[in-house]
Amino acid sequence: MAEYNAIEAEVLDDARLTLEEFARACAVERQWVVERVESGMLGDGTRYVSKWQFTSHDLTRARRLRQMEFDFDAEPELAALVADLFEEVDHLRRRLRAAGLKLE
Amino acid sequence: MEFKDYYQTLGVDRDAAIPDIKKAYRKLARKYHPDISKEPDAALRMQEINEAKAVLTDPEKRAAYDQLGERYRAGQDFRPPPDWDAGFEFSGSSFEDIDLGEFSDFFANLFGQRGPRTHRGHRMQGGDRHAKIYVDLEDAYHGAVRTVTLHVPQTDAQGHVSAREHNLKVRIPKGIKEGQHIRLAGQGHPGIGGGEPGNLYLEVHFTPDPDYRVEGRDVFATLRVAPWEAALGAAIDVPTPSGQVHLKIPKGSQGGRKLRLKGRGLPGDEPGDLYFVLEVVLPPAHTDKARRLYESMARDMPFNPRQTRQANG
Repeated sequence: MAEYNAIEAEVLDDARLTLEEFARACAVERQWVVERVESGMLGDGTRYVSKWQFTSHDLTRARRLRQMEFDFDAEPELAALVADLFEEVDHLRRRLRAAGLKLE
Repeated sequence: MEFKDYYQTLGVDRDAAIPDIKKAYRKLARKYHPDISKEPDAALRMQEINEAKAVLTDPEKRAAYDQLGERYRAGQDFRPPPDWDAGFEFSGSSFEDIDLGEFSDFFANLFGQRGPRTHRGHRMQGGDRHAKIYVDLEDAYHGAVRTVTLHVPQTDAQGHVSAREHNLKVRIPKGIKEGQHIRLAGQGHPGIGGGEPGNLYLEVHFTPDPDYRVEGRDVFATLRVAPWEAALGAAIDVPTPSGQVHLKIPKGSQGGRKLRLKGRGLPGDEPGDLYFVLEVVLPPAHTDKARRLYESMARDMPFNPRQTRQANG
């Protein structure tokens, strides 16, 4: 396979997403993101909208929130709680794997 | 192409009300949720139930589908008749949530119409797409080129959409982490009315490695050593993802001890560390000589591993 014509990929976190890019990537309205950042469910707590930048972790989290809200008609707070639990489970699974313990 | 019975997919009656359809959908979505399901075909089932819900909870799509469904049964060979959807107006906005590439040909053929009827005169950027990509740990250490196969919606002259396979060669950047996204500009859905195409986001996962385990940028491996290497110390050659190293085992080591190789984890601005976790492996006592050596140790070395830590050294 020739490598010269491979598509260059941009790593999120090196290049963070703006609010518009982020909303588009999550297939939601800009306002949906704004409401969840302002209520502390997303983002790093930065106060000024113009400085908001979103990471890989934010993207995974926002898509989970969206899925919970859209598929289960979950209240945003409940969706955030579910996302928190998923993140905790992911974290524990990674720790178990790093410790050499196998999951069923 | 086979006809899909969406009512059968969700396990609901043909006259089920929308709240019942949503309830059936949620029950199945919980069962097949990709983050928790242990079912082997979870991803496929999730796609099927998402598709069924998208049609049956939209009154216009459901009415058109019902009219069509009177003549077909699940699994029956199917081609959409011309003008099958005459008299029905699907709302264009509902497609914004739907990545047609993640749906079946059946769905794309019926509901993937992106003709001038819904988008006349609009110039719109194409939607972003998401996919997962599995790479080897080696790729994260050195960078690599990998091929990703996507199902891309393709519109014919009549405005109907079908899925075709599209291979993309992607350069995986060195130092990528588990769960991180990479963005491929312009590789999402095509724009509408001359609009720019969307982007493709790939969520990176590592294929399980028999030798290494990864946590963030730190990498862990088990290093098997002989009792005398652990007790007396040793210098041994060990392979690592970034090349062979000459590793010093400190004398008096026990199983479970972690040896850190700073900066030999995943590369990056702040590279991770590589940890070797020692596992002391006992030689088998399957020859007379080996048995005599064990007997000699038992006799000459006062040692009870169930006593104090001090006795353990």
